[in-house]
Amino acid sequence: MIEFQNVYLGLSAVLFVIGAIGAITRRNAIVVFMCIEIMLGAVNIVFITFSRANQSVEGIFMVLFVMAVAAAEAAVGLAIFILMYRKRGSLDVERFNLMKW
Amino acid sequence: MFDLVWLIPIFPAIGVLINGLLGRRIEAANRSIIHWVACGAVGLSFLVTCIIFFEMLGLPAEERLYEYTWFNWISGGVLQTFVAYQIDPLSMLMCMFVTGVGFLIHVYSIGYMGHDEGRYYRYFTYLNLFMFSMINLILANNFLLMFLGWEGVGLCSYLLIGFWFTDEANAIAGKKAFITNRVGDFCFIIGMLMLFCGLGEHGVWSLRFSEVFPNVHLLSPEVITIICLLFFAGCTAKSAQIPLYVWLPDAMAGPTPVSALIHAATMVTSGIYMVARSNILYSLSPVAMAVVAVVGALTALFAATIGLAQNDIKKVLAYSTVSQLGYMFLGLGVGAFAAGMFHVLTHAFFKALLFMGAGSVIHAMSGEQDMRAMGGLRKKTPITFWTMLIATLAIAGIPGLSGFFSKDEILWLAYSSPQGHFLLWLIGAVAAGLTAFYMFRLIFMTFFNENRASEEVQHHIHESPATMTVPLIILAFLSVFGGYLGVPHALGGSNRFHHYLEPVMGLGPGKLLQKAGAVAHEAAHHGAEAAHHSLTAEYILMAISVVIALIGIFIAYTMYIKKQDRPKILAEKFRLLHQLIFNKWYVDELYSFFIVRPFHAISSFFWKGIDVVIIDGLVNGIAAVVGWSSRVMRHMQSGYVQSYAVSVVLGTVALLIYYFLQMTG
Amino acid sequence: MELIMLIICGALAITTSLMVIFARNTVHSALWMVASFFSTAVIFLLLRAQFIAILQIIVYAGSIMMFIIYAIMMLNLRQEDPGRGQTPATKSFGLILLIVLFICLMSLGVGSGVMALKGPITDQLMLQHGHVAVLSNFLFSDYLLPFEVVSILLTAGVVGAVVLAKRKE
Repeated sequence: MIEFQNVYLGLSAVLFVIGAIGAITRRNAIVVFMCIEIMLGAVNIVFITFSRANQSVEGIFMVLFVMAVAAAEAAVGLAIFILMYRKRGSLDVERFNLMKW
Repeated sequence: MFDLVWLIPIFPAIGVLINGLLGRRIEAANRSIIHWVACGAVGLSFLVTCIIFFEMLGLPAEERLYEYTWFNWISGGVLQTFVAYQIDPLSMLMCMFVTGVGFLIHVYSIGYMGHDEGRYYRYFTYLNLFMFSMINLILANNFLLMFLGWEGVGLCSYLLIGFWFTDEANAIAGKKAFITNRVGDFCFIIGMLMLFCGLGEHGVWSLRFSEVFPNVHLLSPEVITIICLLFFAGCTAKSAQIPLYVWLPDAMAGPTPVSALIHAATMVTSGIYMVARSNILYSLSPVAMAVVAVVGALTALFAATIGLAQNDIKKVLAYSTVSQLGYMFLGLGVGAFAAGMFHVLTHAFFKALLFMGAGSVIHAMSGEQDMRAMGGLRKKTPITFWTMLIATLAIAGIPGLSGFFSKDEILWLAYSSPQGHFLLWLIGAVAAGLTAFYMFRLIFMTFFNENRASEEVQHHIHESPATMTVPLIILAFLSVFGGYLGVPHALGGSNRFHHYLEPVMGLGPGKLLQKAGAVAHEAAHHGAEAAHHSLTAEYILMAISVVIALIGIFIAYTMYIKKQDRPKILAEKFRLLHQLIFNKWYVDELYSFFIVRPFHAISSFFWKGIDVVIIDGLVNGIAAVVGWSSRVMRHMQSGYVQSYAVSVVLGTVALLIYYFLQMTG
Repeated sequence: MELIMLIICGALAITTSLMVIFARNTVHSALWMVASFFSTAVIFLLLRAQFIAILQIIVYAGSIMMFIIYAIMMLNLRQEDPGRGQTPATKSFGLILLIVLFICLMSLGVGSGVMALKGPITDQLMLQHGHVAVLSNFLFSDYLLPFEVVSILLTAGVVGAVVLAKRKE
């Protein structure tokens, strides 16, 4: 048990829920994307907290990989946004109902 | 040579394979190959049968039993069944005339079916398949293999009745035969299972004849009676007895050689064969014997009356067959198994001959079957006329011909044997008179007087080709002399036929006495008494039956030659009776009313009530519910990414709540 | 001291994150996002994860945010499109759902974290050898394979981005 562990965890939960609210309510795809980054950050905080609490490096490496994935995601995601914008002239997620038959 | 018994069924089987698999191509190339293969197969079977038969005759009577096990057929638990053949006097007798008559009819078919384009190979395939099944039925050494043959001949019968299936009436006749036979077959199966289980209780888990029959005395008399009656129910279907005879007259829809082979000479006698084979079983059940005798006698009379007023030449012969089969069962029922088998043999000769003659007539008349349109064929088809006349004399029971000996023996034993009764004899004798009447009616209407057909048909009348007439002549010969195999003692003969069959009917009254107790004891007692009946009684009865037959012939002569307006006057006079007979006692209508229609009603209730409403409703209802819920749930699939994200969150929350509950609980 | 810093940074992180969602202007959202990343980085520092904090600033606040702002600028997306608004029912449903989610997370998180096993990587060790040195020791030995796999992932991401964004002739 480290000092203020619960505060860290609570902070993480708050950030995660804020990110989730944004991801669900905002319509601009880029803002949604950013909200997802907020959620990832919240998760990262949890990983680091437990890593420290358990005196191990696993959590830290997890965060490292999450960041790498986030970077790749950003690259691919933004490429998709550009493509979508070219096709539809908008980044409104409500117009991206391609998954409907 | 006994070890080569498997050759007998294998030849027709090969014929089936060749004609069945390659027939279409062979027929396109050269159709004569087809009948060469088919007739050759049956001919070879006949040859092998002859060799084995005469080899068997060379043995002393006690050694005339040989079982050849070919291969293991079904083995599961206590049931061990082999494809195994039994050579004994009974099976070889049947096999002799089945392959022999079968061969003749195969040859005859070459001429008769010659004009049938495109189905020639199918016809001979079915015919060979029939021979294969029939041989299995006869030679089988256990009930199960016998049943295989039993079903096989039923199938072939169905296929051949509906051979010209493009005409719907023929297809319906085929179905009728098949369905009626199923009723009997079902009883046969039940009987077989009862026998198997019943004997199994006593430690004899077998369906082999040679193991079953020596042990049947272990069964209780009630069980034996039930088994016998079930077996007999199977026979009533296969051998066309009351109440299941209705299919046989309709079976005349098939080609005439088929009627001759299957529906007169061989297949329909398999019921008699089966009862004769199970004679030990039946001997132990006086009730079953009585049922067999009464049903046989009634059928003989009943079918003969219907035969009086039929106009279709083949229908007359069909009812005659039913009637004659009734005779055979009468013989079996009074314990005269050998006499019954003797009649099977002679009947096979003359009835096959009659049918083939009828086929020849139909051939000459360009397909016409109504006797009212015939007449005067005597001059134009002399061979057919003379051979048919011989057969008719034989079936009428004129002394000197085969039918006389066998029929008379049955009638005599119906009166004199312990299970016999005067009434049984009376019914048989009356039926014999009726038989003589309607058979001569057939002859007179067909061959005498003026021809009543149209000009064009008259112009075409011709004698049939040699392939058809030669078998007729051979069978006519057999019809005359076949009876001399079993000339009774009363007429100075030695009744060789009886002695021949003795090993099979071996467990006679004397031996049964030791095993079966009181029932058989009584029977044996009566038997001994019967033997003391004076020969005079036999002579008197014989004379009476001959006189009755002659009266029948005489009436037919007056009615159809001398005073040809008589039939009409009589029909007017006894209008009700005539209508009854003419419409076959309305039995078909009765069945249709009491069985077929209720069955239809129940079926359509199950169809429209249970199947359509409940089962289909269930299935369709489920589909409708799924469709409805899908239409509702489709709205969840909005295609909007964010609604999917909400679902993800929903799932996460559900999981978290679950973990939370796990932790606290 | 740590608690004060934590409260300040936490409040900052929450506020900036809220601003990210509520800002009408996309560019403003992006800028608030940068602020949020910085406060998160400070929280990492408070957790003695210096290397991660630096990475947070370099990777997130630096490169990813630069990507995003670049995209916004390029596509000229300052204003959100007036699209189909969500119904109050949907909104309240989502809100309730998220509140439940929050409650669950809090209750689970607060109750957890007590582990019997303590690893060897103590704070003292970190201070002695340095955070980066300790991590790189592990990264290039025990975690070599995942590390390489991540590099393949990044390469794939680059190739994918190029293929997707390429204008078809």
